[in-house]
Amino acid sequence: MKIVYSDVLVIGGGLAGLRVAIGVRRRGLDAIVLSLVPPKRSHSAAAQGGMQASLGNAIKGAGDNEDVHFEDTVRGSDWGADQRVVRMFVETAPKAVRELAAWGVPWTRVRRGDREVIINGQRVTITERDEAHGLLAQRDFGGTRKWRTCYVSDGTGHAMLYAVGDQAIAQGVPVHERKEALSLIHEGGRCCGAVVRDLVTGELIGYLARATVVATGGAGRLYRVTTNAVICEGIGAALALETGIATLGNMEAVQFHPTGIFPAGILVTEGCRGDGGLLRDATGHRFMPDYEPEKKELASRDVVSRRMAEHIRGGLGAQSRFGPHLWLDITLLGRAHIDRNLREVKEICQSFLGIDPAEQWIPVHPAQHYTMGGIRTRHTGESTTLRGLFAAGEAACWDLHGFNRLGGNSVAETVVAGTIVGEFVADFCESGVGDIDLPTALVRDAVAVQRAALDALLASRGTESADAIRVEMQQAMTDGVGIFRDAAGLESAVGRLEALLLRSRSIAVRERADGPNPELVTAYRVQRMLKVALAMACGALARLESRGAHFREDFPRRDDANWLKRTLATWRNAADTLPTLDYEPIDVDAMELPPGWRGYGARDYRDHPDTARRTAEVQALRDRMQAGDRREVQAALMPYRELLPARLQASNDRLEAPA
Amino acid sequence: MSAARRIQVHVLRHNPRDPASEPRLQSYEVEEAAGMTLFLALTEIRERRDPSLAFDFVCRAGICGSCAMLVNGRPRLACNTLTKDLPADITLLPLPGFELIADLSVDTGRWMRALSERLQAWLHARETEVDAARIEEPMDPDLADRIYELDRCIECGCCVAACGTAQMRADFVGAVGLNKIARFSLDPRDARGDGDFYELVGDDDGVFGCMTLLACHDVCPKQLPLQNQIAFLRRRMARAGG
Amino acid sequence: MSSSARFDSASAPGMAGRSSPWPARLDLLQSGTGLLLALFMWVHMLFVSSILLGNDAMWVVARFFEGYFIVGRRVPALVALTVATVAALFIGHAALALRKFPSDYHAFRTFRSHMKGFRHEDTSLWYWQVVSGFALFFLASLHLGTMLTRPGRIGPFESGDRVWSDVMWPVYLVMLFAVELHGGVGLYRLALKWGWFAGPDPNVTRRRLRAVKWTLTVFFVVLGLATLAAYVRVGIGHADHYGVPYTPSWIEVPAP
Repeated sequence: MKIVYSDVLVIGGGLAGLRVAIGVRRRGLDAIVLSLVPPKRSHSAAAQGGMQASLGNAIKGAGDNEDVHFEDTVRGSDWGADQRVVRMFVETAPKAVRELAAWGVPWTRVRRGDREVIINGQRVTITERDEAHGLLAQRDFGGTRKWRTCYVSDGTGHAMLYAVGDQAIAQGVPVHERKEALSLIHEGGRCCGAVVRDLVTGELIGYLARATVVATGGAGRLYRVTTNAVICEGIGAALALETGIATLGNMEAVQFHPTGIFPAGILVTEGCRGDGGLLRDATGHRFMPDYEPEKKELASRDVVSRRMAEHIRGGLGAQSRFGPHLWLDITLLGRAHIDRNLREVKEICQSFLGIDPAEQWIPVHPAQHYTMGGIRTRHTGESTTLRGLFAAGEAACWDLHGFNRLGGNSVAETVVAGTIVGEFVADFCESGVGDIDLPTALVRDAVAVQRAALDALLASRGTESADAIRVEMQQAMTDGVGIFRDAAGLESAVGRLEALLLRSRSIAVRERADGPNPELVTAYRVQRMLKVALAMACGALARLESRGAHFREDFPRRDDANWLKRTLATWRNAADTLPTLDYEPIDVDAMELPPGWRGYGARDYRDHPDTARRTAEVQALRDRMQAGDRREVQAALMPYRELLPARLQASNDRLEAPA
Repeated sequence: MSAARRIQVHVLRHNPRDPASEPRLQSYEVEEAAGMTLFLALTEIRERRDPSLAFDFVCRAGICGSCAMLVNGRPRLACNTLTKDLPADITLLPLPGFELIADLSVDTGRWMRALSERLQAWLHARETEVDAARIEEPMDPDLADRIYELDRCIECGCCVAACGTAQMRADFVGAVGLNKIARFSLDPRDARGDGDFYELVGDDDGVFGCMTLLACHDVCPKQLPLQNQIAFLRRRMARAGG
Repeated sequence: MSSSARFDSASAPGMAGRSSPWPARLDLLQSGTGLLLALFMWVHMLFVSSILLGNDAMWVVARFFEGYFIVGRRVPALVALTVATVAALFIGHAALALRKFPSDYHAFRTFRSHMKGFRHEDTSLWYWQVVSGFALFFLASLHLGTMLTRPGRIGPFESGDRVWSDVMWPVYLVMLFAVELHGGVGLYRLALKWGWFAGPDPNVTRRRLRAVKWTLTVFFVVLGLATLAAYVRVGIGHADHYGVPYTPSWIEVPAP
């Protein structure tokens, strides 16, 4: 049995995982990155539109700062986020984006002088400042009060992933490609590595590490139509779940992106709407202002997707052989703009739809896009219940996004959380608690368990097909745990998923070779994916309110009185067929921004009993400190700065906002 | 509406790790659907017909570069190739020039990492420390766009598979390598000068090995301007070396 | 200081100035010799085709290169000197180009199967460049050897005899196609290799260059065929007087 030792094992080679590895490497520790695919092929590359960081260089972003970014993110989350984590995030985002600029990301830059832009369907001339010339540009995105999204044309994720991937190579971070973690090795509440399968040879290897970081991204492939890459199967969440100790937070919070191209579900960026694109229905009518007069197409994604689904239900979708859809119109932006700032969108439209988006409307439909939930962690990224296990990025419930993530905040989270968690992982390894004292027999046992499971699959005389179960699972999730949810649909989904989980224990594979055997991979993954799917469906069924992306038609109001809390799911015993749910309250008294109306979407919600008091407290303090520095006010409301690693605590410089 | 076309997909099957495996073409018949890509066709074959068929897809949107293969002899991304643009007989071969893992799956990742290490293809910053709380260095907006133009490479390997030189000489860096050097040499944030780049590509495994067959330029799925970039690099390297 | 947000970046290794300058020089030399040879070939063809204007015209051109109109007498050594220069360029170019040939049979076979499967014009043209270059290695050597050893035997009848009675026409016929193909493609590739005439759209540049290349190739092949036919005609007509040089009627015949 082969055992590989390192200080830090990072599972997942996307932006978050690579950034953690670089961080700990710079602290003088060894890190090994495991990746299913070459790291530059990770799903991070698919982020198109940009990364939020409150630089305020563009004139429409002037006056932006951490406070505005903070409030937008908390409102976007429908008050589900951990506000201290949001503060840590908004403070680090400008540093992260500037660090990436120094690492070579070719950010699109501000050009001084007049330029024409489309705002609310109108052609408007704006004038960029001389002093901002050549600094990072920002574009508009949904749910934000300022233009805050820094971007590289519409290939932001790609450019970021390549810069970070290149830095990982420069730092000599080893990436073990085509390796898949099958289980986490843990004992006595302490995680210390993983059992890993070589996807080429089939060999099982024990990886031992002082700290293990899960950065495996999202779980879009639990659904039939998703913008996610085919490797986004929620396996990281499943690994944590199967420990029986680590918890998953808010798995029912699943985001649907308004503009997946129809029917393939491939993403076209929110930048299309940020840059002035409009949503139209079968008659060509621009319908979003009817529903959302404040933010129109640029309300948060949960709201826009819901309005689109509502509009289609009302019979106003355009008909096609694949079913109804709506239109995204970016023709008004003009060919020059599309060629420069939306070229991936253009390529996708040409390749997959055979249309020219400068001339024709794009058929779109909401598609699963993001998993707000994930491995529940403390602000350090460490699991709240399993020592030595960390998570970062989409795989984590850090909890930056609560029940709805703002566009541009996820690709920002990857590098910001990667930076912050990387520091805490290094601290952990350097401290006494980072030591492990582990008999190799434990590794042998852990490997043997996985070996036995694989051998059982390879030798199984069962009758179930892994692919069929997978398709049924995706259908159950799509039918019952979609944009609109209700008790009947969710109960049915839970029932179907539970039955599938039982059936998945009788999967037989036709191809009985180990090594590069895609059917075997599907078989062991679908067994794990079903558990994550059940965590989502059960969490959604239990949550009797609507919050962010979780919308219950039978409970359409946000209910802070009963549900201002995080769902925690564990899988107590391997033999269980359902997760165990628990809840973690969110403390209104600790909030800098107490719950209220988001500024878009429904105004109808039920307050928490503490909300009025806390709101008054916050207001009183703001009034008292009216003349004070905004940072001092903030510190008085909700201290957080000392939570950040020391080297990230400095205040961010930015241009003076024009008077 | 006319009946759906039936297409014949001929796939190279081989597992080099299995001593009993002999390379052979296996044919599958698929009913063409509207908007069917090779990603959808291959997935259907695997789900319904042959679960052992190995291939690599990740983003299936033409962004990640995982799925390059020879489609009727031409290197291209399978995910954004529509079957309706192909004849009814489609032959799929693994990308040549890379280690075969199985069937249509090749190891481009290790090749690209080795290339990056050899060419030191990362930004060599002028300062070893950046104070990220300070306002960033400005850059000419047009220059940033020009750098991004070259930064769009997705390391899919099509240019290497299409390159007659690379096929003959295993050590040739290919258009992907030359483009990376062109990209960093364009970037004022990179401290290296032409002399440094000459060290990396100033030989017959580098820019002077290029025989200007330009297949790289013609097959690049991201339409990178490789023809101009390699010429540009050749001129600079000739000046730097000669 | 704890509050500073400093990040390390990979720094530049100071490493300039160790590599050999020769790869750059050899590449320039290969391009340079190729360019000169290709231009020479066109000029050469234009001069040789003077036969189409009549025997006198060709005679004047031939004598011109012997310095006849400057020093007043024929100096075939001048021609030999030109031939020697071209031969040197030719050998140099061949030696440099040989580096790019497939290094062994395996490489050759790999390239051929690549080319056949791929069907890409500029890749296939390179193969024909290699084949024609290989042919020229022998054909042009033969021709250069003849010219070097017998530089004085250039003229309408002398050349006609060589083409017809010495049965060199098959050699010239093959060489015509080989040289036009090799040189034409070579110049086209040279322009792309160094980015000459590059416009904003590389695809337009290439389309234009390709059109120019084919036009020139067709022009010179047609011209070459007409010229060769003219020499064949002259050679047939002069076969009975093989070896007698041409003298224009307006020149006083020197005493034998």
